[in-house]
Amino acid sequence: MRIHDRNNATSSTLRTGRARRRRALALVAVAGLGLAACSSSSSGGAGTGPITIGVLAPFTGADAALGPNYRVGCLGATHALNAAGGVLGHKVSCKVVDTRGDPADAVPATRQMFATTSNLVLVIGVTGDEAASVVPIINANKTVVVAMTGQSEFDSVHFDYFYRLVAPDLAESYAMVAIAKQKGYSKVALAYGNDIGSQTFVKPAVASIAKAGMTLTDSETLDLHATTFRTEALKIVQSHPDVIFTEALGSTDATFLSEVKQLNGGTMIPVVGTQATIDPAWFKAVSAAVGASTLATNYVADNVSVDFTGPAYKSFSQNLNAVASQVSGGVTPYLSVGGTVHLYDGIILAALAMAKAKSTTPSVYRPFIEQIGNGTAGATVVSNYADGVAALKAGKNIRYIGPGGPTNFDSYHTSAGIFVLNAYDSTGAVKVVGTLTNAELQAVTP
Amino acid sequence: MNLFLASLGFGLVTAAVLAIASVGFTMQFAVTDVLNLAYSGVMIVGAYVAYAVNSAGLSVWIGLVAAALAGTVLSLLLNRVIYTPFQRRKSTGITLVIVSLGMTLILVFGLQAVVGGTNVSYSMSQGPSLRLGGLQLSVVQLVIIGMAVLSMLLVHGLLRHTRLGKAMRATAANRSLARNCGIRTDRVVTLTWAVTGALCGVAGTVFAIDAGSFGATSTQLFLVLILAAVFLGGPGQPYGAMLGAIIIGLGTEVSAAYITPEYKDVVAFVLLLAILAFRPSGLLGART
Repeated sequence: MRIHDRNNATSSTLRTGRARRRRALALVAVAGLGLAACSSSSSGGAGTGPITIGVLAPFTGADAALGPNYRVGCLGATHALNAAGGVLGHKVSCKVVDTRGDPADAVPATRQMFATTSNLVLVIGVTGDEAASVVPIINANKTVVVAMTGQSEFDSVHFDYFYRLVAPDLAESYAMVAIAKQKGYSKVALAYGNDIGSQTFVKPAVASIAKAGMTLTDSETLDLHATTFRTEALKIVQSHPDVIFTEALGSTDATFLSEVKQLNGGTMIPVVGTQATIDPAWFKAVSAAVGASTLATNYVADNVSVDFTGPAYKSFSQNLNAVASQVSGGVTPYLSVGGTVHLYDGIILAALAMAKAKSTTPSVYRPFIEQIGNGTAGATVVSNYADGVAALKAGKNIRYIGPGGPTNFDSYHTSAGIFVLNAYDSTGAVKVVGTLTNAELQAVTP
Repeated sequence: MNLFLASLGFGLVTAAVLAIASVGFTMQFAVTDVLNLAYSGVMIVGAYVAYAVNSAGLSVWIGLVAAALAGTVLSLLLNRVIYTPFQRRKSTGITLVIVSLGMTLILVFGLQAVVGGTNVSYSMSQGPSLRLGGLQLSVVQLVIIGMAVLSMLLVHGLLRHTRLGKAMRATAANRSLARNCGIRTDRVVTLTWAVTGALCGVAGTVFAIDAGSFGATSTQLFLVLILAAVFLGGPGQPYGAMLGAIIIGLGTEVSAAYITPEYKDVVAFVLLLAILAFRPSGLLGART
């Protein structure tokens, strides 16, 4: 082989030269295509290639139950968008990115998402587990994120591309105290998981309990990786609370609450959960451990209001049902999950903003999210994407009000919504069992 | 005082579950020379086999028998298909540890792909809670303690009073010498995988009964406690593992009553380090 090379040195050199030129031409072509792709992506709407929504959330780990809720919301919303011809002609798809609920995994996963998804126009999900570490990255990449985190740091730090349709944890903690007060409880025990997303509730809850004149009997931190919580359960039982506030996902609440019941002589202590506990996986695990009827009669959670009756909800449920074949176990359990509803709304809202801006480029369509979410004087109210696009084409200003109710973004892009009380029936269906007034919330706000 | 007695009771339950698991683990290690970290994967597969039986309307105790059988079959397969080929190629101990770690991940996440991320529970009553002084234990927890005692007695009987047990001890002590003395060590190793696999399946089911709710990844951290109990008692020492399980079980639960329970696994390792500082080969390990 070497002899052959030596004998053909000249032609080999020529071939090398030609090969180099071909390679250079190929590189130029690839670079050109790349630029064209970038240009198409950044100008948005210029081409009709597909665009992607990243579902960035825990799909494995202790909070693995959260990710599927958001994925289903994305599937339903993208079905609505694609059925209406896509966004500016672009077909829309969802891309699942697993954070494992851990910043150490979430940061590289987020960077990889940006590196491998050139047509990414929106990110949804982002729980309290990873928000603090990934939101700055998403913001630096100038991509809109509709997040599920309730972390209070986002109440005071402004990120241009950050939006959320859920209440801050501060407000949710106060809502839980207001619920306890409404129910006539005066002694409260706290049992939150040791993940970032759950621990963020503790401090505001303690302050709010004091403000409400109630007694904090005990506060236990539940290690989400532990297998039993007997000692924690016993300490809480021995502190004789009227009610337990909790958010400990995975198998933790199931094990913990069954141990509370056992150590309390077989009687369940009433529970107030966060909105993250309004979740089919949480219900399935806890009801199997303590009994469905026991859970149904002893549990209530705060949640941001969802209108289960109007045309927006009808459209939402139709779109979710249309993607049922893509969801293991069907979509029925997700029809009442707050996270599914609110992220569905977030996607429709962002898509309408793209339609209004005539661009899928986040920096271009971003300002219209607030405009279409909060509405302007005389705006036409729409409850689904197709109607919104039709109204925009007719030259009207629009306000989108989805199944999650009206949005009112503040200067930090948080729309807290109205709090309601949710409970499960013994089949796991979620029902609204009360509301909280502003006066009730104010009374327990430190 | 009540909290102390109650945590002592909880410690006994934890120790009981840990003892069943760690005795099987350490016997496996002693006889087969494999530090099988996939043990926790086999445990959780056993727990899910019991769940499948229980979901079919049968008692969880029948499920426990099925789990023991599943543990046996899976352990035999692991040995035959994975570990034996590596051992034949004279792979080092650390290579086998890494292989077993990989097998844990394959088993656990393979299982998760099948059963999903949702946690499940057995359909069973915990029975009434019995109170004796400050002790508060349910009937099922007492049954778990009883099963652990029975398992330990059976292991003791096997090791001390049967030909297989004596062959196991001989193989564990010196495999070449045992082979030269006419013991069919390959057969002993295979039977050891079968016996310890059964213990592993039982341990997985008992673990899941005790936890009340479990998922595919639930035994991952428990493996760390098993290792602590095994090394505390002296690796390869079944009686040491029993002792280690009692110390770790009681130590973690009693400490949880007085310092934050979040640190109970830390306490397990502080205990391990403290004891290994004085007895590097573990409580019942051979003195060097």
